[in-house]
Amino acid sequence: MIKNYFKIALRNLFKNKGYTLINIGGLSLGMAIVLLIGLWVHDELTFDKNHDNYDNISQVMMWRTRNGKKAIRYAMPYPLGDELREKYGEDFKHVVMSSFHGDNILSFKDKNLSLRSGFMESGALSMFSLDMIYGNWDGLNNPNSIVLSETASKAFFGTENPLGKTMKVNNELNVLITGVYRDIADNATLKGLDFIVPWELYSMLYPWVKTAKDNNLWGNNSYQLYVQVADGSTMTSVNGRIKDVIYNNVSEYSRKSQPELVLHPMKNWHLRSNWKNGVNAGGFIQYVWLFGIIGLFVLLLACINFMNLSTAQSEKRAKEVGIRKTVGSSKYQLINQFLSESFLVVLVAFIVAIIMVFMAMPWFNQLSDKQIVFPFKSVAFWVMSIAFILFTSILAGSYPALYLSSFRPVKVLKGTFKTGKSTTSFRKALVVVQFTVSVILVIGTIVVEKQVDYSKNRPIGYNMNSLIMIEKTTNNFEGKYNVIRNELINSGAVVEMAESSSPLTDVWSTNGGFEWKDKDPNFITSIATNSVSHDYGKTVGWDLVKGRDFSRTFATDSTAFILNEAAVKYMGLEDPVGKTIRWNNEEHQVIGVVKDILAVSPFEPVLQTVYMINYPNTNWIELKLNPERSITSSLSTVETILSKHVPNVPFDYQFVDDTFAEKFEAVERIRKLSTIFAIFAIFISCLGLFGLASYVAEQRTKEIGIRKVVGASVFNLWQLLSKDFVKLVMLSIIVATPLAYYGVIKWLNNYTYRTEVSWWVFAIAGIGAIGITLFTVSFQALKVAITNPIKSLRTE
Amino acid sequence: MILQLKDIFKWVNSGGNRIFLLNNVDLTVKEGEFISIMGASGSGKTTLLNVIGMLDNFDEGEYTFLDESVHDLKEKHRANLYKEYIGFVFQAYHLIDELTVYENIETPLLYKKHSRSERKAMVADMLDRFNIVGKKDLFPSQLSGGQQQLVGIARALISNPKLILADEPTGNLNSEQGEEIMQLFKKLNDEGVTIIQVTHSESNAAYGSRTIHLKDGMVVNNQS
Repeated sequence: MIKNYFKIALRNLFKNKGYTLINIGGLSLGMAIVLLIGLWVHDELTFDKNHDNYDNISQVMMWRTRNGKKAIRYAMPYPLGDELREKYGEDFKHVVMSSFHGDNILSFKDKNLSLRSGFMESGALSMFSLDMIYGNWDGLNNPNSIVLSETASKAFFGTENPLGKTMKVNNELNVLITGVYRDIADNATLKGLDFIVPWELYSMLYPWVKTAKDNNLWGNNSYQLYVQVADGSTMTSVNGRIKDVIYNNVSEYSRKSQPELVLHPMKNWHLRSNWKNGVNAGGFIQYVWLFGIIGLFVLLLACINFMNLSTAQSEKRAKEVGIRKTVGSSKYQLINQFLSESFLVVLVAFIVAIIMVFMAMPWFNQLSDKQIVFPFKSVAFWVMSIAFILFTSILAGSYPALYLSSFRPVKVLKGTFKTGKSTTSFRKALVVVQFTVSVILVIGTIVVEKQVDYSKNRPIGYNMNSLIMIEKTTNNFEGKYNVIRNELINSGAVVEMAESSSPLTDVWSTNGGFEWKDKDPNFITSIATNSVSHDYGKTVGWDLVKGRDFSRTFATDSTAFILNEAAVKYMGLEDPVGKTIRWNNEEHQVIGVVKDILAVSPFEPVLQTVYMINYPNTNWIELKLNPERSITSSLSTVETILSKHVPNVPFDYQFVDDTFAEKFEAVERIRKLSTIFAIFAIFISCLGLFGLASYVAEQRTKEIGIRKVVGASVFNLWQLLSKDFVKLVMLSIIVATPLAYYGVIKWLNNYTYRTEVSWWVFAIAGIGAIGITLFTVSFQALKVAITNPIKSLRTE
Repeated sequence: MILQLKDIFKWVNSGGNRIFLLNNVDLTVKEGEFISIMGASGSGKTTLLNVIGMLDNFDEGEYTFLDESVHDLKEKHRANLYKEYIGFVFQAYHLIDELTVYENIETPLLYKKHSRSERKAMVADMLDRFNIVGKKDLFPSQLSGGQQQLVGIARALISNPKLILADEPTGNLNSEQGEEIMQLFKKLNDEGVTIIQVTHSESNAAYGSRTIHLKDGMVVNNQS
């Protein structure tokens, strides 16, 4: 029976090659998109799940309330780890203090590599359940040890077992290799962590950490804290108990900002990392949802094509239905037949889709910044795929099946059967749905595009041309600023050099406790501080609006402040130059005001910032390369000079404009993805429209012939045939506009700094949709309109 | 008795007027009869045949088919009756264009519980009987009208029906082909199959054992 069904289905498919192509082509494209989105969503939802203790791991975070606004902080004070261990020990299986992960230099013999790494307490290995190739989870118990990732181990030792070898960290500390772990999965927060060294070494290496440790500094928040909640405890109960630990230990002044600890469970790290007004406010999860829904819509579009084309062909199939009924087929059997037919089509489409996905995988990975491998070997994937095929067959096939199987033989066998008005209006409704979805996607895409452009054109407040940054990963740079600067400038490779505590593209420290005249005593301050060298302004080319730059000629500049405009506004200073600000029990005079430098997010306001001179506190070198020399030669000169003064440090630089561009990666990715989805949605919809137009043209051949005989011009006929479709698309535009408006406004609200949604966005989308419709429909319309009427009338 | 129509009415309403398609039709068909229904165009022949074949409804009256009251039947049950007892033959043959001769004849068996080998034997038998073995892999469009109608009859016969309903079976055929088909019907009737045919042709009607003349939906005579 099934065989018979498939046989007739196949013959029908071959007979109507045009329809089949549109049908299978559209469906497989839709299915391919759904598969890609499905793989992507799966990848996102399984983020961090490679850790066995996924459900129990948390990062400890801190809320602070300043002037009525709550803000979240990842940075914890040094003594917090011990405090939790000692006083709340029964709540935790592991408490792991950790440095923020960044690059450190690792050396073996002559080889130096700058690798992403962290200083962590010894529980880290078992808490994160790292997959040890050599050694075990006790690897960090020895304070002078190191565990490497497989990649790092291979980079130094090839395939050799490196256990027991001694390496050097940041050119200072000797460490013994006690373990090698398999690289952490790509879809994990800890991805790319190349080595871990014991927490104890952090204070041995950095004096500021040692100070915090020795003096039990509760007020200095510079570290991360990971915990694994004990088996008997829940995150909620632990949250309640540890809430006030910071508050109870900090000074009276710090208590003003009401520090409150909160656990940030691992399952939220990647997808729900936004915080607002004291609660977790989602995050990337909204895009997972959004793309999931878009995927379903694209599938719906493709299924609509299938429904549309199947019902359009119903007249051809009507006779068959009538015959089958008279020879004894029940309605149920006919439904089965048509469903198995759609199953066949969907199956073929799925196979094509799998091939498409497989071929698009590298491109898609690049686009989405993922390392998704096509899960050929996953049983779950194939089970899901079968469910997906069945779901699609039913979604696409059930309407045609019910419709076709309901034909009454006496009607269809008389030979005068014509499909009724009701199916035509149903088909029209489907076209409206298709174009509504497409127009919404187009509007969304234009708005995303606009937002990207808008934020990219935002003034950044400095000149990033030929500007590079180098992180000072070791203490070897100390005290060599002037020597290095002079030599670099003399070489001609570099125009100017500066140092700073924060990189140009981020804010690494914010501080409170600023006081000035006329300040509201209840106002709790929080201002970004950037310690810089005298030459910072000249190097980055900032824009001084008032006062003057730092200068070596004024000895008093060692305590002077330069504010950005945001800080002036934040403090409410009129005429800021010359004013005095008290901070850390010292008086600081404001000597200048600069335009805001866009450091953190291009979608958020620039933070109020204070620039001050403090050489020992700097972490970064900024170099303005000579624009008249080739970059390569300048870089190699810089490398030679640096390696002379700071040997055994890899020359690891970044171009500021590249790093800045990374800030747009996420939104750019959304832009690209939404553009692609919109294009495919339109394409699939047009396929359907094309099919429907050719069907309508065929239906009306006789009418058109008659009209032509009585004098209609080709233009008249083209108009006649196109009009109906344009009306439908206009209806779609009317439906789509408010929906799209609501959606884009909601999306734009994610950004403080956002573009406006102008009317022309909707106009462009609408005109575009109508244009595409006319283009698609005209092909068929003109074909019929040009046909010699004698031919079309003879068909009767 | 295979079927009985009692006081059957069928009408359509057109602009306030009731037009009768069937007007008080009484008809009893016994097993083994060969009945011809005749009448002018629009007299209701085909409508009557469709009502008998349960393809069409009637508005009033009583119809009993093998002791079952037809107007109470659900569609599913009706499909069972088709399968078991009735074979249809159409003027326009109504073969499925996408199926070969063999597959067309096989179709009714698919809706009954026959094994593959059984079906094969039955179809082969039928092909043999109608001398169309050589045509079994051709599609309907590759056959002449007469051949197509042979296939149509073969399909109607494959499930061993008690009753064959034929709507102008020779209407699309030339006289020679028509003659052949009628001979075939005669032979089938002799073998015990009840046949009801609608026809325009007196000579065709002559093959039957009884002719019913219809006019404006009414039976004008009912001669044996």
